Amino acid sequence: MSAVQASPGKEASAESTLVLPSVVGKPKSRFRPTTAGWFARGLAWAALAWFVFAVPGNFLSPFDLHGEDIGHLITAAVFVIIGLSLNILIGYTGTISLGHQAFVGIGAFMAAYMEVDLGIDFWFAVPIAAIVGGVQAAVLGAISLRLTGLYFALVTFAYGVFTEESIFGIIGFTGGDAGKAVTRPMGFQSPTAYYYLCLGFVVVVLWLDWRLTRTKGGRALQALRENPRVASSYGINVKAYTLLAFVTSGVFAAVAGALFAHGKDLIVPQNFGFELALSFILMTVVGGLRNRAGVVIGSVFFALMEGGWLFKTWLFDTVGVDWLLEDGIGLPLSFVPLVLGPILLILTLTTHPGGIGQQIAPIKEWMLGRKFDIHTGKVRDVEVTDVRA
Amino acid sequence: MSQELVVALVNGLFRGSVYALVALGIVLVYRATGVFNFAQTEFGTTGLFAAFVAVEMWHWDYALGLLFGISVAIVMGLVTERVVIRPLRHSSKVTLLVGTAGVATTAIGIQFWLTNEQPIREMPPIVEGSIATVLGVAITYQKVITVLVLIVVALALAAFFRSPSGLAIQAAQQEATAAELVGISVRRVSLMTWGIAAALGGLAGILSGPNDTFTAAFLTFGGGAALLPGLMAAVLAGMRSMPGALAGGLLVGIVEQLGALSALADLPGPKATILFVFLLVVLLLRPEGLFARKVVGA
Amino acid sequence: MSVLEVDNVSIHFGGVKALQHIDLKVGEWEIVGIIGPNGAGKTTLFNCITGFYSPTSGSVRYRGMDITGKPVHERTKLGIGRTFQNVGLVKNTTVLENLVTAQHLETDYDAFAGILGGPATFAEERRLADRAHQILELMNLDGVAQARVADLPYGMLKKVEIAAVLATDPDLLLLDEPGSGMGPEEAHQLGDTLLELRKQFGVTIVMIDHHVPLVTRVSDYVYCLNFGEVLTEGKPDEVRRHPEVVRAYLGEDPEEPEASTVAAADAPATEQAREEYV
Repeated sequence: MSAVQASPGKEASAESTLVLPSVVGKPKSRFRPTTAGWFARGLAWAALAWFVFAVPGNFLSPFDLHGEDIGHLITAAVFVIIGLSLNILIGYTGTISLGHQAFVGIGAFMAAYMEVDLGIDFWFAVPIAAIVGGVQAAVLGAISLRLTGLYFALVTFAYGVFTEESIFGIIGFTGGDAGKAVTRPMGFQSPTAYYYLCLGFVVVVLWLDWRLTRTKGGRALQALRENPRVASSYGINVKAYTLLAFVTSGVFAAVAGALFAHGKDLIVPQNFGFELALSFILMTVVGGLRNRAGVVIGSVFFALMEGGWLFKTWLFDTVGVDWLLEDGIGLPLSFVPLVLGPILLILTLTTHPGGIGQQIAPIKEWMLGRKFDIHTGKVRDVEVTDVRA
Repeated sequence: MSQELVVALVNGLFRGSVYALVALGIVLVYRATGVFNFAQTEFGTTGLFAAFVAVEMWHWDYALGLLFGISVAIVMGLVTERVVIRPLRHSSKVTLLVGTAGVATTAIGIQFWLTNEQPIREMPPIVEGSIATVLGVAITYQKVITVLVLIVVALALAAFFRSPSGLAIQAAQQEATAAELVGISVRRVSLMTWGIAAALGGLAGILSGPNDTFTAAFLTFGGGAALLPGLMAAVLAGMRSMPGALAGGLLVGIVEQLGALSALADLPGPKATILFVFLLVVLLLRPEGLFARKVVGA
Repeated sequence: MSVLEVDNVSIHFGGVKALQHIDLKVGEWEIVGIIGPNGAGKTTLFNCITGFYSPTSGSVRYRGMDITGKPVHERTKLGIGRTFQNVGLVKNTTVLENLVTAQHLETDYDAFAGILGGPATFAEERRLADRAHQILELMNLDGVAQARVADLPYGMLKKVEIAAVLATDPDLLLLDEPGSGMGPEEAHQLGDTLLELRKQFGVTIVMIDHHVPLVTRVSDYVYCLNFGEVLTEGKPDEVRRHPEVVRAYLGEDPEEPEASTVAAADAPATEQAREEYV
């Protein structure tokens, strides 16, 4: 009766007389890179690490980044956490959230309120904000568990608008139009130091997300997304695990919000409008649902594109991208993300459903020590369309 | 109190007629292609901008300008169908929703870009002035015209769905393969539906625009936001019933205006709160919608 | 004590009476077959037993415990495992991953511990994968462990599905058309497998199938359903020769019922229509 029975293998190992026809698996030849191959991969990793760690600190770097530039990098780190958070809902559970700006905003204002009004330290405020974020996500999830797909999307949409106009309208909580200004925690006052702190949070979230997908919870989510009936026949409590996804997503989003609040000089309710929810969806889907590397790159890309900063950087500047956009077609750089983002989304959906994750799959596999194969990721990870509705 | 209620009712009716126009378009598209159309109100804003450009900048005749606005909306609907909906027709509904959200954001992005110099615009009404003032509420000609247009549209749609083309659309919605077999082109029906829906969206835009100043994304999350109420009205109609969408739109408009009652004045964002609660209650108590026939069976 | 007792179960969908006053008893270690024409209510009965539907009236008892109102996943916990008529597997992943997923209740850590990534969870993951491999080996499926489910042929999936259900560690196995899509030869082998499973795992089996020879060979007891009612029940040979069964199942020709294995490939449309998740 109990779930703990001896493994069947032990009982059966004596002699197995089962007569199902066996299947011969394809023998797998293991690929090992040559020394030069290892070296090249090492270089690629070093370059990546250099970009992420050294360049923002102006260490071994020809660029001189400061102030606003670092601000964009902080936003990028925050967006990565938001993208991963949204990926849990859209990617893993197949429920779309159009109210994620509320999830993020609640984390931001919660942390700001505790620090500014209650004088609570950063290191306590962020976990508390995370818990509040988890709880509000759980409540929303619990209310709307009976609804799936489109109706659920509508509820999150309404929830976002409601939060923006009602909760963020409480002046005692958010400071109203005057907003809230938070100072960065001790030891991380400079933008660069704070960037590294955010990077630390990104690493933690990446770890948690990775473990989620590789363990019980993630498998349960995959099963219930694809086939809730099968999932429940495997003993998975579909409602409980949907809630788990909500809570995890809410916690991540709230942490991101709290970090966001400290990254800006001032946060106001207008920071968390519906258009933000849309751009979160854009970056996650363009990055590639259920593809961690893709979501990370997509989020970074959209964050850096904000205000057209990315196109003003040396990389695009030398190529003349900014000239082409501003003088060529008269599109001011700050409007590039508004126009380019959605177009990328439509292209992703219609022609490359795996998003950036699918495009970079060959490079990712290569960097992980496997053979470079341009067709990697073309077959397996394409089915992003099986979302529950 | 009772005076306030009357005011809410009157205002709600006018707002609601815009929501009803939006909801009609949403229901129409949902029935035909199963898409939860997030771009419906952007057809409206785009149409409004087009009409504005024609009337105010090119100094066209007002009626011609409105026609131009609706035509632009229709073109946008047709392009959406061809470029986004058709390639994704085998995708899940959530993917399609994201696709239409992409269309909406594209339109919004372009609007922001093109109105960069002067973000706030004002469209003159069809007829200036008010018919009367009821309890301090000005009953403008524009509002009355909106209600009249809604009635005409509802009658026209009802007549259309009894015509051969309308029946073809209904057949294609219910049984695509069978419809193909009897010679109805499902592709053409889909295109036609999107065209009609976009025209409805355009109408909602050009009629609601002149009540106030407008900006980019006016009908989606701007000053005349009608997307959420429109979707809610469509849900009240069970996503299928056209008369339901009409009634739903008016009801949502009135419920929203109840948020303006002084009893709720202490609540921050009373309208959004009341709409959110209303939506939850409806979805949890009657997920099949208020104005929809209950589907018999499992 | 019987393992499973279905007591006077009826279920109506709107005006359709899908099941009417069904009584069914399954004893320890028994293999019970359920036959009947398409649309007879066989899968609906399974759905009542496993909790996807709640019967309009009547009760389901498992080892004496009334489980009529319990949700599906709790019944799995009690030891009821089932397969589905149209292959119940997570299709976008590998066979191995399916078996690991199926060991959800066997997993010895909670989901939050998994997310945090404690060291014990890594060891447990290895144990789950090992156990999955053992089961696959036992079913002669270890060759396809890494294959993606969506890429495998139908007949193979039917076997993978049984392996996955075994991974949930069931006491009572409900198999919905395990032999569909198989030829006589394969169906015969499947019969051997089922008998072997009972011997090795000590499971009790209830199976729906259209292969009358398969059902009569392995079953200890057979029920025949028709139009949502039990047409007849009894020892396999009695049921097979029962004139009404012959008529209901094979039309008007009572000669040599075992000669034709009754087309099984087509799933009954009406039952499948109700397969949607409730």
